[in-house]
Amino acid sequence: MLSRKSRADGGLALLAALALGLYLVFLVLPLLLSLRGSFTNENPLRATNEFVGLRNYREMAGDDQLRASLVFTLTLAVGVTLAANALGVAFALLLNRTRLSYRVMRTLAFLPQVLSGVIVGFVWQTILTQDGLLNNVLMSVGLLDEPYPWLGTPRAALFSIGAVVTWVLSGFTTVVYLAALQSVPIELNDMATMDGVRGTQRFRQVTWPMIAPGTTISVTISLITVLKLYDIIAVLTGGGPANSTQSTALYIVRLAFTSDRLGYASAVAMLLLALSAVLALAVTGALRRREVSL
Amino acid sequence: MRSRGRAAPPRRGPGGRGRVRLIVAVVVTLAFIAPIYLMLVNAFKSGDQIRANPVVPPLPPTLDNLSTALTRPDNLIPIGLRNSLIVVVASVALLIPLGSALSFYISRRRGRVRAVILAALAAGLMIPPQVILLPTIKILTWLGLDHSYPGLILSNLGGGYLSFAVFVYAGFMRSVPDEIVQAARMDGAGGLRIWWQIVMPLVRPATATVAIFLSLWIWNDFLNPLFILGPLQGQTITTGLYLTIGQYSVDYGQLFGIMFLAGILPVVGYLTVQKQFIAGLTAGSTK
Amino acid sequence: MLRKTFLAAGLAGLLAVTACSDGGGGDSGGSTLTYLTFETPSLTSTFWDNSIKAAQAEAPGVKINRITAPSTDRDAYAKQLQASGQFPDLLQSITPSNFVGAGLLKPYDEAWVDANFLLPQGNALKGEVYIPPTNSQIIPEVFYNKELFAKAGITGPPKNWAEFLDVCAKLKAAGVTPFTLGGGDPFAASMPLVGVFSADILGKNPNWLRDRYAGKVKFSDPDVVAAVEKYRTLVSGGYFDKGALGVKYADSITQFTGGKAAMYPMGSWFLGSAPKESADNFGAFPWPTDDGSVVIPFVVGGSMAISAKTKDPEGATRFAQAWSLNPANLKLLIEGDGAFPMLKGKTLADYGVTVTKVFEDSFAYVTADNTKVNAIGWATNDDALPPGLNDQFYAASQALFTSGDVKAEMAKLDQAWTTATNGPLTQGRARTPSRGPGPLTRT
Repeated sequence: MLSRKSRADGGLALLAALALGLYLVFLVLPLLLSLRGSFTNENPLRATNEFVGLRNYREMAGDDQLRASLVFTLTLAVGVTLAANALGVAFALLLNRTRLSYRVMRTLAFLPQVLSGVIVGFVWQTILTQDGLLNNVLMSVGLLDEPYPWLGTPRAALFSIGAVVTWVLSGFTTVVYLAALQSVPIELNDMATMDGVRGTQRFRQVTWPMIAPGTTISVTISLITVLKLYDIIAVLTGGGPANSTQSTALYIVRLAFTSDRLGYASAVAMLLLALSAVLALAVTGALRRREVSL
Repeated sequence: MRSRGRAAPPRRGPGGRGRVRLIVAVVVTLAFIAPIYLMLVNAFKSGDQIRANPVVPPLPPTLDNLSTALTRPDNLIPIGLRNSLIVVVASVALLIPLGSALSFYISRRRGRVRAVILAALAAGLMIPPQVILLPTIKILTWLGLDHSYPGLILSNLGGGYLSFAVFVYAGFMRSVPDEIVQAARMDGAGGLRIWWQIVMPLVRPATATVAIFLSLWIWNDFLNPLFILGPLQGQTITTGLYLTIGQYSVDYGQLFGIMFLAGILPVVGYLTVQKQFIAGLTAGSTK
Repeated sequence: MLRKTFLAAGLAGLLAVTACSDGGGGDSGGSTLTYLTFETPSLTSTFWDNSIKAAQAEAPGVKINRITAPSTDRDAYAKQLQASGQFPDLLQSITPSNFVGAGLLKPYDEAWVDANFLLPQGNALKGEVYIPPTNSQIIPEVFYNKELFAKAGITGPPKNWAEFLDVCAKLKAAGVTPFTLGGGDPFAASMPLVGVFSADILGKNPNWLRDRYAGKVKFSDPDVVAAVEKYRTLVSGGYFDKGALGVKYADSITQFTGGKAAMYPMGSWFLGSAPKESADNFGAFPWPTDDGSVVIPFVVGGSMAISAKTKDPEGATRFAQAWSLNPANLKLLIEGDGAFPMLKGKTLADYGVTVTKVFEDSFAYVTADNTKVNAIGWATNDDALPPGLNDQFYAASQALFTSGDVKAEMAKLDQAWTTATNGPLTQGRARTPSRGPGPLTRT
C-alpha cells in the first residue's frame, strides 16, 4: 500500500524519471554503444562490422600517433591548468576592489569565455600566423628581425595553443577565484593584519588555504575542459604541423572520418574517457581532501 | 564552511599604492581583452585596411562587411541566428524543469540511489563529446529524428547540460527550508505541486544561473549541431561561421564582419546579465 | 512570472521546432537534389550559382540545393554527411575510391563517357567511371618568376636535377628566396615531395603504386629514400623560407605572385590565380629528373559524382552530364582555375578563352606525347592511396621539413599503409582525399 507521501510524489517522480530516462538514452546508451563498437572493426567504407575482440586495444599499444597525441594532450592539460589557475589567482587578487573601475574590469575579464571556440581560434590565428599581427608588431618595434613561425614548428605551435587556451580559461578561473576571495571571512584578514602577517606571507598562510574550495572547482574544470577540447585546436592549427598538435580528441575525429576506422576510433575514445575520468577523480579527490584538512 | 561575515573587497582611497594598482589592473585588463578589441575594430575595416594595420581603430568605419554578410545569398546570418535561437530557447526551456525536478527529487532522498544518480550525472560532465557523437546519431536515426531540430534538442537534454543543471539546483535546494515543504505536504500537496509552486520560486537564482550558462554553451556548441543538424536543415550561427571560415577567403574584412555578427549576441547578452553570471558562478563555487 | 514564461517559451520552442522540421523536410522530395560543392579563391559562390543555372537550362525539371563543404577536404565532409544520414545526391570532385567500397556512388554510362572525353578511362576505378573526366591537371608544376631568375643571372628554366640545384644556389646567392611553400596547409606542403616522388620513382616505374598494393615495393626501399633525400637537400640547403610551415596556402599564393620568392611548386590550378597583368612574368617547368627526361605528374579530374542512393537518378544524371559538358562552365574553369579541358573534339580555341602564355605552355605538356604518371596522392583512379595515407603523406612532408630522418618517416608511411589496407577490401581502393583546392581537377 503506497503511503500518502509516495502516491503524492508520483507526478514529481515521473518528471524526474523522464529526466533520468533522457540521460540514459542520450549519454549512457551512446557510451555503451561506443564501448561495444570498440571491440569491432567497424568501417563504413568497407562495410565491415565484425567483432575482433581486443585487437583494437592491442593496436593502440603500438600506435605512435596515439602516444604522441596523448603526450600532447596531457602536456597541454597540465600546462594550461597550471597557467590558467596561476593567472586566475593573480588576476583575481589584482581586481579584488570595490571601485566601479574594478567592477568593469572584472566584467571584461570573463569575456573570453563568452566567445565560441571557433571565433577564438580564428582571431588568434590571424594574430599568430606568419604574416600575422604578432610578427608585424614585434618587428615594427624591433624585437624581431624576421617573422617567427608561431604556428609553424611543433614546439612553437604547442606553446601558442597553450597560450590561447590559457587565455580563454583565465576568464573562468579569474571569476571563480574572485568569488572565492570574497568568501574569505573578514575576521581572518583582520587577525592576520593584527599579527603582522602581510603580503606574500599572508597570501600563502591565510588567503591561499581559505580559497581552497574555489581552487578545487577551478582546477578540476580547467583540466576537464582541456582534455575535451576540440574546436579551438581544429581552427587554430588543424592538428598540424605534421600532426604535432593533434590532441587525442582530434585524433579520434580523424580516425572516424578521414580514415573511416570507426571501431578503432571508439577504442581510442574509450581510452580518452578512462584517462579523463581517472585524472578528474584523482585531482578532485586530492583537492577535496586538502579542503577538508585545511 | 564559511564563517560569519564574508570579507568585502578591501576599500582603499586613491593613495599612491592604490593608483599604481589601478594602472596595473587597467593595463593588464586591456592586454587581456586585446583580441576582442581586434575582433570589434576589424569588423568595420576593409580587407586591405586590416592587412595594412590590424590594430588601429577604423577611421572612417565602414559598414560594408556587415551589410555584405547580412545580404549573402545563402542568408547565413539571419538563418543561423534564427536556428541558434530556436535550439537554445527550446533546449534551455526544457532543461530547467527537467533539471530542477530531478534535483528536487533526489534532494529529498538519501542513500545509495541518490549517490548512484549523482555519480552518473557527474560522469556526464567529463565525457568528451567526440566519444558519444556517432552513437548518438545512430540512436537518433533509430528514432527517426536524425538531422532534425527535435533530434538536436533531445540530444542536448540528456548529457552534460542536464548534469550541470542538476548540480547547480542541488546546491540551492539545501536552502529550501524543510518546514515549508512539510507544511505543504500536510496541506495535501503532491510532490509536483510543491516543486512548481514552492521550490522553484525559492531557487530562482539557480534558475537564472542555469539559464544563463546553458544558453551560452548551447549557443556556442559546435560538434553536435555540425553533425546532428547538418546542412540540409540549415546551420546554427556557430557551425555556419565555421563553414565560412573554412573556405579560404582572403577577404579578412568579410570574415571579421561575420564573426562580429556571430559573436555580438552572446557578448551583448553577457554584458546585460553579467551580474547574474558572476553571481551565479560565485554562488556555485562557494556552495 | 518566470515560471509561466518558461512554460510558454518551452511550448513555443517545441511548436516552432515541429513546424520547422515539417517545413524543412528531410531529404529532397521530388526532384530537388543536394549538390556538394566547395569554394576557393577562384571557385566562388557566384561561379557555382552561375554554373548550376547554366546546367539547369539544359536539364530542366531539376532543382538544385547547393551545399558547401567547410574546407577543401570535401571527402571528409561527405563522410560526415553520410554518417548523419545526409549523403548528398551530387558531389563535386570527391575521391570515388573512398565511397565505392560502401556502394555509395553510381557509375556513369560508359558509352556516354567514351563519346565525350579524350581520356575516358583517365580516372576510372576498376573500369568504372564515377566522375566524368572533364579536365586534367599537372601536380605539381614548378612555377617561376622570370624577373627574379634574370636578377640572379639565370638564363632559363633548369632541365635536370643538377641544373635545378644550381638555380637554387644562384638564387640564394643573389639574396632571393628560391621557393615559396604553403607549409601550413598539408596538401600544399607536400608539393615538393609529390614532385620528387613522381619524377624519380613513378617516372621509372609508373606501376609503382600498384606494385605497392601487391607488396612488391615499399616506401622504405633505397630508391625511394634516395628520392626523398633530394627533398631534404632542398630543405637543408635553406632554399625554403624558414617559417614556411606556418604559411597558409592562400598566403603562399600572395607571396609568390608578390615576388617574394622565385619558384612555387604547386598544382596547375595555380594558373587561375596568376594575376593577368603580370602573367607573362611567370613561367613553368616540370619537376626535373636526374637525366633530364620529361615526366609529367598527371591527374585526370572531373566534375561530380552521383550518389547511388539518390531519389532521382535520372534527373541527377541529366544535370551532371549537362554541367560537365557545358562549355561556358569549362571556360570559367579554364580561366579561373587553370583546368586543362579534356573534352573530345574541342580545342582550347573552341571555348573562347583568353589564357596566359604560361597556361598555354603548361597545356602543351598535356597534349604532347610524353611520359605521364599518376601524381601520387592526387590520383583518384586505381593508383589512389588507401584511406588515411594521404594525410600521412602530407604529415611526412611537413615532418621532413624539420627532421632529417627520412628512413623513419618512410617506415611510418609503410606502417600506415599496412594498417590501412588490413582487412577485406571490397571494391576499389579506399583512399582518403587530400585537401586539394584543385577544383575539378581532382583527378
